[in-house]
Amino acid sequence: MESNQSYWQENLRLILICLVIWFVVSFGFGLLLVEPLNEIRIGGYKLGFWFAQQGSIYTFVGLVFWYSSKMNKLDKKHDVEEG
Amino acid sequence: MNKHTKLALMVAPVLAIGGYIASDFWVEEQANATRIFQMTPENSCDVLTGNCVLLAEDFKLNIFDDNGKTTINSTFPLDTATLFLVDKNDQATSYQLQMSDSPYYWYRQTPLRATISQVGDTHKMRIIATIKGGQYISEFYTQTGSKG
Repeated sequence: MESNQSYWQENLRLILICLVIWFVVSFGFGLLLVEPLNEIRIGGYKLGFWFAQQGSIYTFVGLVFWYSSKMNKLDKKHDVEEG
Repeated sequence: MNKHTKLALMVAPVLAIGGYIASDFWVEEQANATRIFQMTPENSCDVLTGNCVLLAEDFKLNIFDDNGKTTINSTFPLDTATLFLVDKNDQATSYQLQMSDSPYYWYRQTPLRATISQVGDTHKMRIIATIKGGQYISEFYTQTGSKG
């Protein structure tokens, strides 16, 4: 029972981290901080614009695999992995 | 692909679309906020020959007169456009322009050409163009050149 709770708490923590990163890159970098970030140019692109157009999507894809990897480790730790 | 990858792949697009919708609301709200932009003439202004371009960052407004029909052409679609002709006593007469075929072109018959028909004539003008909450304003002089 305690192990279940610990597993769930750890899962919630990972979800919360993902949501914070999701918010920061999409809303934060793409909108709220777009002007200061546009002062920085990478490969000719304004950074704020890049985050709004592509960067946030790349981060979302990265988050999918990061979350999956962390959860797999968590499954192993709690001995509930698949197959 | 295990259950966590599947779940994350299902949730990610929902969050991405959620972010897109939230961003749209935010940008719409920002656009409707009242802001005033001062436009300045790009160079010496002669409305009668069409050499009159006002600038405010990316926004450009060209003012020209064709046989008494004073027309403005903007780089962004306008919601409203009002032209003011200011006489020597600093009294302004307003002319609410009407949209032409597209919101990029606005026009109205004005006495401007008759007023400054001679070479060297000048006239003070003002303009207010609105795009959502943004008001693009300018006060400038048009001077009739040799080709007027």
